[in-house]
Amino acid sequence: MDPSGIFFTNYASDRSLIRSRPQGLVLIVFLACLVTLPWWGGDRLISIGYAMFITCIAVVGLQICTGYAGQINLGQSAFMGVGAYGTVLMLHHFHCDAILAMVVGGISAAIFGVMFGITAARIKGFYLALTTIAAQAIFHFLILNLPGAWLGGAGGVHVESAQVLGIALDQDRTIYWLSLVVLTVMVTGAFGLVRSRHGRAFEAVRDDDVAAGMMGIPVVATKARAFLVSSFYAGVAGGLWAIALRHVSVEQFTLFNAIWMIAMLIVGGLGSIVGALVGTVLIQFAREGVTTLGPHLIEWLPGVGQDFLFASMNVLLGALIVFFLLFEPKGIMYRVEITKRAYRLWPFPY
Amino acid sequence: MQMTMKSWLSKSAVTLALCASTFGSAFAQTVYNIPSLSDFSGPFASIMPAFSEGRQSVLNWWNAEVGAKLGVKLELKPYDTRYDTAQTASLWPAVLATKPLIGFMLGGPDTAALQQRLPGDKVPMILGSAANGFGWRPNQWVFSMRPTFIHEIGGFLEWFQKNKLTENRPLKFAVFTTEASPTYADIGKGLVAYAKARPEKMQLIEVVYAELQPADLTLQLRRVLNAGAELIVMPSSLQQAVAVKRAMQALGKNVPIVYNMHNAPSTVQRMVGGMDAMNGDYEAHAAVIAGSDDSEAKRFYDMLATKYGMKQPWNSFTAIGIGQAMVLVRAVEAAARKYGGDKLTGELMYKTLVDVTYPANQFNGYSGGEIDFSVEAPFPTKDPRVNIGFVQNGKLTTIAPAVPAPKLEKW
Repeated sequence: MDPSGIFFTNYASDRSLIRSRPQGLVLIVFLACLVTLPWWGGDRLISIGYAMFITCIAVVGLQICTGYAGQINLGQSAFMGVGAYGTVLMLHHFHCDAILAMVVGGISAAIFGVMFGITAARIKGFYLALTTIAAQAIFHFLILNLPGAWLGGAGGVHVESAQVLGIALDQDRTIYWLSLVVLTVMVTGAFGLVRSRHGRAFEAVRDDDVAAGMMGIPVVATKARAFLVSSFYAGVAGGLWAIALRHVSVEQFTLFNAIWMIAMLIVGGLGSIVGALVGTVLIQFAREGVTTLGPHLIEWLPGVGQDFLFASMNVLLGALIVFFLLFEPKGIMYRVEITKRAYRLWPFPY
Repeated sequence: MQMTMKSWLSKSAVTLALCASTFGSAFAQTVYNIPSLSDFSGPFASIMPAFSEGRQSVLNWWNAEVGAKLGVKLELKPYDTRYDTAQTASLWPAVLATKPLIGFMLGGPDTAALQQRLPGDKVPMILGSAANGFGWRPNQWVFSMRPTFIHEIGGFLEWFQKNKLTENRPLKFAVFTTEASPTYADIGKGLVAYAKARPEKMQLIEVVYAELQPADLTLQLRRVLNAGAELIVMPSSLQQAVAVKRAMQALGKNVPIVYNMHNAPSTVQRMVGGMDAMNGDYEAHAAVIAGSDDSEAKRFYDMLATKYGMKQPWNSFTAIGIGQAMVLVRAVEAAARKYGGDKLTGELMYKTLVDVTYPANQFNGYSGGEIDFSVEAPFPTKDPRVNIGFVQNGKLTTIAPAVPAPKLEKW
């Protein structure tokens, strides 16, 4: 719902993402803050920033698959892993530009992911969730059992600093900016996708795949496409992660990470790109917050054991998430939308 | 009265001089931050307090008894990385901001997150566990006080083959491990390569790859015992160690099992009916056997418990923390003597770690032998030694100290 007095006279304006001038201004200021953060924020904030951007890319991909197309996906971490390996192998063997390596990483993850999309044609719900867990097991098994010369085996693959357009990615700052640019491109792409006919097909399949099929939507292809796009996003995120760490190994991509991504999605709100971003930012900040607070509390309260304090911090994190899900199970974006609508209609009830 | 006044004045002067010297030396101490990457809320949360107190109490002792004379004070800064690569990676810049000199690491995720950037950040780190095959590469800034698991197990296997077999023939052994963890998967592969290179001494029946936390391993154990295994090598998780021991009990067999430091018999016994149930089993690794012996290491632990705040019980996890910290403080000590206590940097620490050979007597019994790091290998390679413990009458005692570990090729 647009604010009162805002109306459009042509189709292009009516489809625009930025609906009003203040909205555009806020977005520009926000982006300017993010771009300049490495100058005014500390090193810690920079590293939190790029870790968050990378996670956001993977969670936005998951949102497309799970939130829009309704396909439960617990393999997102494995898809990230495939993308990371694809990227690192490109960098390691061909010393190519990081962007090209990430695209190849994304494509390799998409190919791996689409196989699970095809299985989604026959199964759904919990059964599909179990199938996507298999992606995790297969990824792990392949990496550890293929010849070590191919994928590094248990030890993983090291890579020297990558380059983008001749700029070395050997500083946290450059990785931060690259992650921000990639995130911006991917999020813009996600907005475009979900508003296209593919996005509408995703939503139709999510709401009722039988009815969608009767309406002429190719259900199997749509589900496969959702996995394809989602795992491409995960692959790009994995590629960025590998570039940031300059090392990739199988233990960085666990089922536990995939479950955290689902949690971010639920907290932010299913079926909303902004929700995926908000959920990721909230959970990541909460996790980083408790991790940062722990050492300070140890200094302030030396009598209390480290184990007790750190464990308490994580209980606090868990309690926050449970509390949130109890009181806002539809995600934070649902509450934001209600509040925004009420504000725009005030003083009228509807 | 005058005399009294004079004596009072002289006493005051002496007291003031003492205070001045004490405060002077205290103020002259250069304080260095030592990050302690820990896992208080991940898979190692239950044993982390033991690790952590081991590290802290050694630093307390060293600061008071050695550092004070060198003008160096090491301040431990604990961080909870949850055994999670992403958490370690995002936390590290905050750690770097404290200008760490050298630090403690826990395991694989920490190493994966940092090993490529540590040479640039110039912060060497000390690992408590044994090294692994994939970490055996040059120019590493993550150092392990113990050689690889394969060195440790190889040392034990050769000792067992020589001393426990009645004739000179290959020892038939089986290994239980898992593919769920890269380190444990690497042990399986390393032992295959080890046995293949020594057919006259070793016959590997099977490497059983099971789940990390298996419910039951009776079928797998029966299979390897029927194939003639005379020894079971158990380097993997504590849960696997318990499952193998329970399977042995269920089958009514008494084939010896050799455990490592992280799944020591003293830990497994709690889940299988007490220490008597472990009779006939072994513990072998290149660190102290935390058993019933009245050893130098135990006396050092007792001293830490009496004077420096150690409250955790004497066990292998506490010993890992103490051993890890001993390496760190001895390295700082060597660097401070060479370069001066107020001039230490991470780069000098790295140089000291790879340049100096640390004799075994510097570690109060917590190492297998002398410790030498090099640019080629971030763990002892010159003459690594393995300590072997044996459980008899419900007591774990060291039966073969400082057994030589074999020379290995990379696998």
